[in-house]
Amino acid sequence: MIAFCRAMLVALMAVIAATAPAHAQEKTGIKPGFVLQPGTARIVLMRPSIRVGAQSTGGMYEPNADWTDQAKENIGAALAKAQAGLGNSVVGYVEPVGASSAKVAEYQELFGAVASSVIEYQFFKGNRLPTKKRKDQFEWGLGPDVRTLHGLEMADYALFITTEDHFGSTGRKVLQVFAAMARVGVTAGVHKGFAGLVDLRTGELVWLNADMQMGGDVRDAEGADKRVRQLLEGFPGKPVEAPVSITAVAAAPPIASAH
Amino acid sequence: MQIPMVGLLLATAIGTSALAADKRPPLPTYTQAYTPTTVDERGIWMEADERERAQRDSRSLVKDPALNAYVRGVLCRTVGEDRCRSVRLFIDEVPAFNAFMTPNGAMVVWTGLRLRVRNEAELGAILGHEFGHFELRHSLKDFKSHRTGTDLMAWASILVRNSGNIRYAMIGQMYAFSRDQEREADMTGFQYLARSQYPSSAAADVWEHVMGEADATAIGRRGRAHHKYVAGVFATHQTDLARATYLRAASIEAHDVKPAVVDTHQAAMAKWLPIFLNDQIKLNDFGGSEYLLATLADGTGWTTPLLCARGDLYRERGNPRDLVSAA
Repeated sequence: MIAFCRAMLVALMAVIAATAPAHAQEKTGIKPGFVLQPGTARIVLMRPSIRVGAQSTGGMYEPNADWTDQAKENIGAALAKAQAGLGNSVVGYVEPVGASSAKVAEYQELFGAVASSVIEYQFFKGNRLPTKKRKDQFEWGLGPDVRTLHGLEMADYALFITTEDHFGSTGRKVLQVFAAMARVGVTAGVHKGFAGLVDLRTGELVWLNADMQMGGDVRDAEGADKRVRQLLEGFPGKPVEAPVSITAVAAAPPIASAH
Repeated sequence: MQIPMVGLLLATAIGTSALAADKRPPLPTYTQAYTPTTVDERGIWMEADERERAQRDSRSLVKDPALNAYVRGVLCRTVGEDRCRSVRLFIDEVPAFNAFMTPNGAMVVWTGLRLRVRNEAELGAILGHEFGHFELRHSLKDFKSHRTGTDLMAWASILVRNSGNIRYAMIGQMYAFSRDQEREADMTGFQYLARSQYPSSAAADVWEHVMGEADATAIGRRGRAHHKYVAGVFATHQTDLARATYLRAASIEAHDVKPAVVDTHQAAMAKWLPIFLNDQIKLNDFGGSEYLLATLADGTGWTTPLLCARGDLYRERGNPRDLVSAA
């Protein structure tokens, strides 16, 4: 109940402050000198975190079970399709049951925390921590113990994927129009996601791609393909970079509401 | 001829008085294996399922089967066997007074609560309150109340000049809604307790002790102990004093005299008491911890774990004379 109230409070604050969207200055980070030859590594895809819902007029997140189920299915299919283009084999992680599941959950949380730190303190240039200011530096990790996770003994890398979508409701869009007339900036929709690759031998984060304004409607197959393409942009070891996806990002409007 | 007549009259009188006696408000309708249907409710259930995964995998989860069985037993004896069967119970090692139930039917009980209730009936009072939230589907209603409130605030901020007062009123409205729900859950929990084998006066007892501890904490921190009856604008719950008062009034009205039950609370706690006390002492709340130890000692006398905890408490504070008391 407390956590729920806190989430509500956060939503409330967001409304009161009518915050402007955060613009990430950089979207991709890669460990300097890191190269991944195609066909040399075995990558395990951890259980992706996918949340899809609507955004109420007041800016609150309204979780939607149907949309989330569709998105899980579509993104799963899109990832399977995208695999061919990644250059290395990607297999889904089989979640252990029982005692080891707690440890897996901890590492999922840890990855989330590290990824948010990278987004906050590395991708925002002005926000960089004193130890992260050197040029071309990218030094983050989960610790070497990550390789002891059940079922990862034979794998080389772990791929983590997180997406969150709040589709602007009709009410929110109408509010946006009226707000624009009153010269107040109101955003409709939240579409963010990040993907990261962790070296299981050292626990280092070797690649992270984050986008706070992603394209592609994950509720249909086509949109999910686009989303996965954007999530895996700059993925190391890809034989050829698809030029389509790059232009798609460049053309994205500053206030995206992804259709 | 006369005697049967009198008997008949008496029987009718007893019959009507028995009917009149059950003026208690009815319990919420019980639905077995309820599944959510609307978009909103299915959405919050999905979120709750995800959070339950995290709860299941939490490191602070107390997995001891005996302790879990004891808490479940109290819940079942309070709300009834059929209702409690669907609840998934988690005991979380957090040294604060709290328990909550998620919309999808998972109940989380913090260990700080276990330390603060003195018998099965008091534990049942709190569990009944939480179960009331679940059965009345309060999370969903609160979600909708917040959505309506924030929607109106968003419109007011754009369409109305100087809308500060409107927005303030809206926020107040949302908290008032939350307090109403808490009161409703209090009264529903009370109804479960009154229908169970436990004395319904336990519901008010809990809050009186919570107030006592809050006073001790305040005095220990050189503050002033005071309790208000009326809740503040931003309060999510009724004040402890208000809860203690209306629950006491309800239990006097209910006037339930029940045979004493064999209380297994102390026995169930025995194994965990030193661990929970150790968590409590680390809170750096001398007044509150001392009060808590005293109330525990009231029930059982100064047993070894309590004396040991008191020693640790004094050592922790470390005033010159404390080290003597601790030894």
